[in-house]
Amino acid sequence: MTSPIKQSHIHFAITVSNNSMSLQYDKETIVLPSQWKNKSPILFAAGLALLVTGAVFALFTQGADKSDGVAAFKFVTHSYLANFMYVMTIALGALFFILVQFVARAGWSTSIRRIAELIMSTIPFLAVLFLPIIVLLYANSDALYEWNVRENVHSSVIKAKIDVGYLTKNYFTLRAALYFGLWALMGAWFYSQSRKQDESGDIEHSLLRQKWSGPCIMIFALSASFAAFDWVMSIDADWFSTIFGVYLFAAGMMAFFATMILINAGLQKAGKLQNLVSVEHFHDMGKFMFGFIMFWSYIAFSQLLLYWYGNIPEETYWFAVRLKDGWQYLSYGLIPLHFAIPFLGTMSRHVRRNRPGLVFWAIWVLVVHWLDMTFLIMPNAGPLSLIPLAGHLLGGLGMLFIFFAFFLVRATNVPLVPMRDPRLPESLTYANPIL
Amino acid sequence: MSEHKPRKTSEPKPPRSTGWVAEFSNEHALLEAARKVRDSGYTKTDAFTPFPVHGIDEALGIKPTILPFIVLCAGTTGLLTALLMQWWMNGVDYKYIISGKPFGITPASIPVSFELTILFSAFTSVLGMLALNGLPRLSNPIFTNPRFDRATDDRFFLYVDAGDRYYNRESVKELLSSAHPESLDEVMEDPSPTTLPRPIWLGSLLLVLAGLIPAMIVLNMRAGFSDLPRWHVFFDMDFQPKKKPQQTTTIFADGRTMRPQVEGTIARGQLTEQDPFYLGWDPSKVTLAEVRNPILVSTQDPAAQDPAPAQDPAPAADSPKSEVVVETKPADAATEQKPADPVAVPPAQTAAAPAAGAVPNLPWIDRLPIAADEEHMKLGRTKYEIYCSTCHGYSGFGDGLVAQRAASLLQDTWTPPSSLHLDRVQKQPVGQIFHTISKGQGKMASYASSLTPKERWAIVLYVKALQRSRNATIEDVPVEDRSKLSEAK
Repeated sequence: MTSPIKQSHIHFAITVSNNSMSLQYDKETIVLPSQWKNKSPILFAAGLALLVTGAVFALFTQGADKSDGVAAFKFVTHSYLANFMYVMTIALGALFFILVQFVARAGWSTSIRRIAELIMSTIPFLAVLFLPIIVLLYANSDALYEWNVRENVHSSVIKAKIDVGYLTKNYFTLRAALYFGLWALMGAWFYSQSRKQDESGDIEHSLLRQKWSGPCIMIFALSASFAAFDWVMSIDADWFSTIFGVYLFAAGMMAFFATMILINAGLQKAGKLQNLVSVEHFHDMGKFMFGFIMFWSYIAFSQLLLYWYGNIPEETYWFAVRLKDGWQYLSYGLIPLHFAIPFLGTMSRHVRRNRPGLVFWAIWVLVVHWLDMTFLIMPNAGPLSLIPLAGHLLGGLGMLFIFFAFFLVRATNVPLVPMRDPRLPESLTYANPIL
Repeated sequence: MSEHKPRKTSEPKPPRSTGWVAEFSNEHALLEAARKVRDSGYTKTDAFTPFPVHGIDEALGIKPTILPFIVLCAGTTGLLTALLMQWWMNGVDYKYIISGKPFGITPASIPVSFELTILFSAFTSVLGMLALNGLPRLSNPIFTNPRFDRATDDRFFLYVDAGDRYYNRESVKELLSSAHPESLDEVMEDPSPTTLPRPIWLGSLLLVLAGLIPAMIVLNMRAGFSDLPRWHVFFDMDFQPKKKPQQTTTIFADGRTMRPQVEGTIARGQLTEQDPFYLGWDPSKVTLAEVRNPILVSTQDPAAQDPAPAQDPAPAADSPKSEVVVETKPADAATEQKPADPVAVPPAQTAAAPAAGAVPNLPWIDRLPIAADEEHMKLGRTKYEIYCSTCHGYSGFGDGLVAQRAASLLQDTWTPPSSLHLDRVQKQPVGQIFHTISKGQGKMASYASSLTPKERWAIVLYVKALQRSRNATIEDVPVEDRSKLSEAK
């Protein structure tokens, strides 16, 4: 938690001198809007209520037609994991975005970087949201992870993974703690350097972050990939895909840029960040979102093509599960919804430079990202039934509320722009070339 | 972009002005001047700088290019071309089975479609960029200004073309000089003649003619004759001092390069040619010539394999194995095949002309070289149910699933598998059944690559057991188990 900043220590005026340019910003434009402040408890409570309501709803509706409490509980645990991954991937996208800005020594992004830093700083809170999954494991439940109860496992492959000690609740928990520890540590350090620079304006803070961003990206790549294997792929521990971590990364980056567009647009609509975040920044975030829509499609298709070609039952059944029992509508639907339509929709620069258009596609992307997480996780809980899925949707909304509440906690009493970053002038004068 | 086109003039005229060019020492001055010119309404302008200057597009008032839309169209064309091509080739024109994958558009079509999309887009981008810029262009009048050489070095130039709608020589000069350029010059048309110099013409002509020489030589050689020996570029590669199979030599007395096997030895990997266990018949009982010839003839002569179906009244209804005449039982074979079988020739002829039957008359072994114990019976049953039962059926009546499906599809190329309970099959020695499994028979392929000899013998054992089970009497059942039979009834 951040302590309230002492007003006397902050230089809220920004002076940019670039030949003919001199801009002054007062502190009002770079703090959270008053109507957003103190909303986090309400949002958190609402999110929690939605999450519980959704779970209870799903528990009863899924149980009603099946008269089977096991199936219903399985549905709820899978739903929780899908909704958790929905926001977790966004936070990881923010962490990667920060790291890559320093690897590339990027200047254009300086004025929007603080928002990403704040999203990244929610990772310790999200670790708390992961605790129910750990509790589930230690309650000896195999509702989510089949491998947790060895007696119920039939596959010799999964048994082998249990017997070597990899898929066991102790080692799983240890690894999860390691991932969260690494991410939280990296996030906290990059954020603290950024905040120190707010005070001193010393370029050393930038250089230090540039120095460590490369190793941190390697740590991020490995930990995020293994987290994807552990948390999502192991719900179906018989199946394997080495590209799976990249798949979740691609999806997360795409959703992260959509989140950035929405938060920045929301702040500007509330009268903040005026003249600090320009149409050029929105254009660039739109470009990144467009690029990661394509990248997600590329990765998803690469994964599919290899399994389709090999046509080996132990590999194809993962897709077979997703192409029957109603899930085929979602799976095939992702092709136009997650690729073709947003790809063509965000292709034009006119759309990316148009605020309402970009906001529309950002919302679209956040919705299809939720559908994608549902596609990845929910078919393992059983055939598609629409009514319990409404409970799953409520849970998704709740998780988004909680995520935004965490963001607001982080953003309160913090300048929303790295005020004295030496690269800020470059960011403010940045312009996309006319094509 | 300037729209200048050099006019061809045969006689020297006073050089014509094509516009004004102003020189600046830094990009800020250039940008300022460019904005001034743009705001005055001039559109046929251009800037020349040693490095890309941010904001110059906006300062010059350059409108967004239509190139992206052209590229989008080209990319879509590439995508559709690739999909259409693959759909036509693999779905319509030449259906080729690849691992049982569906025909037409499949996920495997996507990479090709992607590549063709990129290829079309990339070519269109480059060529479209050149076309929209009016390139390639050999000369530009602005090159006549010697100061312009510094445009690739350290100076920034702004050019206003005389073809502009609002162009006025004096006012443009005034406008540009108000931006305080380092120098301001009028660009004059290049007065030098535009015709190519005569030596260049001659040189090009000579080069073209020289380029024709190799083609003429090749054409001459293709069309003419020559008594000269062939010319070898690498003589010692074409003629190497080594011998190849089937060639003659003076080194050995028999004049052959290939050497016969040393008496009493077996070459590596050729054990299978000597042992009845691998053959099903005993090679020691016949001479090589007696055996090899019928085998070679039977596998090479199509007439021997395909017994004139036109003469057969019901080729599909009956097994083509009908011509598989075991020499020792000719009468049985003939009586069993009630329709007059054209190939069921008299036994003497069969023995004399083995080519008439697909299976040669060989000294089959009639005792299993493996023990008829439970272990081999289990192995034989397992392998039979994996490899044989799909066609011959679990009980050996030739009613396996593949046979049933093929029969239901009414495919006239399909030859039904034999029932293993036919009299002639029952009477085959074990060696012959082993030979059939190893070498195949009629439409049945060889299973030698899938089954080891031991497994093949085990299958023979199991087949024999199946056959016996159809001809069992009460005496075959152990005395203590006979009561169970009556209970079952």
